[in-house]
Formats: sequence, C-alpha cells, structure tokens
Amino acid sequence: MTLPIRIGLLRLVDSAPVLVAQRSGLFAALGLDVTISVEPSWSNLADKLTYGVLDAGIMLPPLVLAAAMGLRGPRAKLIVAMGLSQGGNSIVLRNTVADTLEQPAGRMMLPWLNRFKAERGRVPRFAVVHHFSTHNLLLRYWLASAGADPERHIETVVIPPEQVAGALAGGRIEGFCAGAPWGEVAQAAGAGRVVLGSSTIWPAHPEKCLALAQPWAEANADAARLLVRAVLQARARCDDSAEADGIAAMLASPDEGLGLPEAPTRAALAGGAGVEGVLFHPGSAAYPSHAHAMWFLREMARWGWVDAGVDLDAVARRVYRPELLAGEGIPAGLGAAGLGPVMMPSEFPAL
Amino acid sequence: MRVLLADDNAERAGALARILTADSGLTVLRVGPGELLADVVAREKPDIVLVDMARPDRDALDGIRQVAARNPSPIVLFVDEDDPAFMEEAIGAGVSSYNVIGVPPPDVKPILRAATALFRRHQDAREGQAQAETKLHEREIVDRAKAILIRDRRLGEPEAYRWLRRQAMTSGKRIVEVARLLVREKEGTTP
Repeated sequence: MTLPIRIGLLRLVDSAPVLVAQRSGLFAALGLDVTISVEPSWSNLADKLTYGVLDAGIMLPPLVLAAAMGLRGPRAKLIVAMGLSQGGNSIVLRNTVADTLEQPAGRMMLPWLNRFKAERGRVPRFAVVHHFSTHNLLLRYWLASAGADPERHIETVVIPPEQVAGALAGGRIEGFCAGAPWGEVAQAAGAGRVVLGSSTIWPAHPEKCLALAQPWAEANADAARLLVRAVLQARARCDDSAEADGIAAMLASPDEGLGLPEAPTRAALAGGAGVEGVLFHPGSAAYPSHAHAMWFLREMARWGWVDAGVDLDAVARRVYRPELLAGEGIPAGLGAAGLGPVMMPSEFPAL
Repeated sequence: MRVLLADDNAERAGALARILTADSGLTVLRVGPGELLADVVAREKPDIVLVDMARPDRDALDGIRQVAARNPSPIVLFVDEDDPAFMEEAIGAGVSSYNVIGVPPPDVKPILRAATALFRRHQDAREGQAQAETKLHEREIVDRAKAILIRDRRLGEPEAYRWLRRQAMTSGKRIVEVARLLVREKEGTTP
C-alpha cells in the first residue's frame, strides 16, 4: 500500500464499524493502512470528502445526496458504497412537554402541537443534527404522518449532537432527534424522555453509510474493495452482544475510541437496555439500495429542497453504487443471502 | 462589508481581524464565547462568515439556503468552482467561508485567502509543537529504560544507552520502541 486511507467520522455509536476494523486489526489484516480523523461536524466531513482531504467517511445518506446534487456547495463527486447501520436515532422531548403528550404519535400529535402554540404563543422548537440528515427527514415524516406540517407546526434548528442534551435542559429547545448515545444521555441527565425510537417510524431504516470520494475510489479500486470487505467484517462484530461490552469500552476510551459516555453507549449496542438501539448487520443493512436512495430523495423533494426537474432516479444511480459490495467485496459468510429484502416505512400503528 | 469571524482561538481571530480591517476597511465582527454561530448570524446579518472548522456548530449554517423562506438573507457556503485547488487549501487549513447570496466571489476570495494563510501558519506551529512534545515524551521513555538497566544490570549510563542501541539494531526497531518494551516488561505499564 502507498498512502494511508483517510477515513472521517463523528463521535457517535454508529461510527463503531470503522473503529472496530482499525483497533482489531481487520484493516491491517487486508494490508490496508488507515488513518481515522474524528471530525467535529457533518459539514467538515462533506467538505473534506468533496475536496479530497478525506478518502472515505461515515456519512448521513441525505447529506451525501445533497452534496452530490450541489445543494450545499459544489456538486461533489461522492458515492455511497455501503450502508453501515440501521436505526439508532431517538426523538426526545423535554420532560414537562412529554408529560402533556399522552401518546407520542397518531391522532394526538396535531392537537398537542396546536395546544402548545395556543398556550405559549409560539411553536415548539426541535433540534436535528444537520439539515440534510436522516434525523430531519424522519422527524418530518413522523410529524406529517400525524397530520402536522413540519414547516408550520414546529421550528427546526440545527444543534450538534453533543450539545442537544444541554439545549434541552436549558430550555432552548422542546425536543430533538439525534443519534446514539445522545438520546439516552439526555434521559439519564434528567433533561428529557426518549418518546420514540426512529425504528418505530421506519423499522430498520438505513442510517449511516460509508461514503467514498469518487476520484479516490476510482484511482484505488483494489483498496476500496478491501475497505468495504473489512468494514463488512467489522459490522458483524458490532452486532454481536458478546462483543458489545468491549466495543462500548473502546468507544468510551478517549485514546482508543471517541470518549463517549460508556453506559448510554452500551445501551445502544446489541443486547443493550436503550429504547432505541443501533443495528449494524442484519438483513439488507449493508446494501446501498436504490429504493433507499429514492426514499431520501423524494422526501427531500417533498420539502422543496430539490429543484423541480432534477432527475432523482439518475442521482440515485450515480451516487448509490452497489458494485463494490456486489463484487468481490463480500467475503464468504456475508454473501447475497445476507442482504435480504428492502424495508420501507410502514404505516403507523393506530394509537 | 461585514465579516463575521467564528474562531474561538482569540489570538488567531485577533490577528485576522487586524489584517482584514487594515487592508480592506472591512467591518469585522466576532462570535463571542458560548454563542451559537447560527444565532449570531441571525442577529448580526454579516455579508461573509469565516468559520474555524473545529467548531461543531458549523452544521447550523449548512443547507441554510433551504430555509430561505424564513431567512431574508440566506448564507451559503462559498465555492470557487474554477479554483478547486484554492478550496482544497482552505479546507486543509481548517477554515471555511460562507457568504450572503449576492455577494460576488471576487469580494470573498481575498478574505478567505488571508484567513487560509493565517490558519495554515497556526496549523504549522501547532504541528511543530506536537512533534516537539513527542520527542520530549520519547526521551522520557528512553530515560526510564536506562534507569531500569542501570538498576537491574548495574550498567553505567553510557553502557545502558549502548545496550538499547544494540537491541534496536539487531531487532530492526527504533531505540524508543525497545525502551518502551523494556519499561512495559519491567514495570507493567505502557509508557
């Protein structure tokens, strides 16, 4: 190998596969030299991938698609090589607010939002971690499914995941949707209550993905294939409840991992006690499905973020690239049988 | 034009503010400690925002054009489509730039160029310091290994160093690695 592969990620539980691959020597075993860069923001990841300062990153699928369409900067040459995780986001409400909402979905939502506005003279504020995030799209989908208009019935603000619990406790926001461990952190701190896991909105929804800078992937086809192979192996380990204690401890270590709070991190891993857990391995999770890309793109178009006339299908085909996974990147034991059906958002249970 | 500096490094922000006000007569505003970037942008309505990429609240500016309906002067990421090398340099130095839609790129570029140069200088200084700290740490490890050899093998200091060097040469390792292994073996801690 020549230059190390530079992979960027954020301080989140679902960054585990790349860290596990690095710390347990799965990259090294395949001859890959990897350096990991822990970034403070999603924008950093997107910018660094766009300008070749990073080769790969653990990304939000809607942000990859937005960057590829030029919605946040230049039209970036990025591809989604594989899915990394499913589920894992929590919708958290401030305790005093959660107490007034008897059932956090269905028919109760709209009257609750209207009552909030009538009593306080403003709409409730919800934080998401990035405008082009799974969190924002799922939160909007959830509200809209309950008859609410996310443009009118709430105000959406963007707050870094590590700061949402503080913002909730300080009264700056009424709720948030963020990835693990930050929902459990807010709940453990007494700042709020996890009212809903994102898997309730869309069972096993695609969450983080492995994005590659396309010029790098094309110039380093072998390394890209091996990278996908090592991460696939690591994903399986991340879903093993026998390994979960060790992985939580690794993620909690400030030197080896990300310095995450250990108990809420463990709660989000296999066999954990959290309301919402992160899934890494089962079923279709790894496959960069065209149907998933289209769901994200249609939701982005639904909220007016994509200009009419953009060929969404072409964007999905350009960005979501299953070749690396479908080719020799899948080692024995993680073959096509493990990819399973593609799940789409289900109807809400009547509450 | 009003330029907002979002940089918690007071020394660097001060230096950049001096450069920008001296050279081009710009009005320079600063994000105060503990303030959220998006709040200050909404309040101060700057034309250009220079952001230290180490700030986690930078995400609040990303995609803000999408909420333009509620925002009279949407801020967008500055992009010079014709000069990707310049953009890469700025990103590599750790600074990004946003501007109000309508501010022409020729007005933004010299400001971002000045910021990039300054961020690069600070980055180089920090890396130099990190390297110096590593060297200092490595010398401590070698000193601890020498102390073990002096104690256990009753060697003099020059002999202890020669012993480490000989081990390093025969094993193809660096002296500090040999010293580290010795300290770990004898003291049970990893230096």
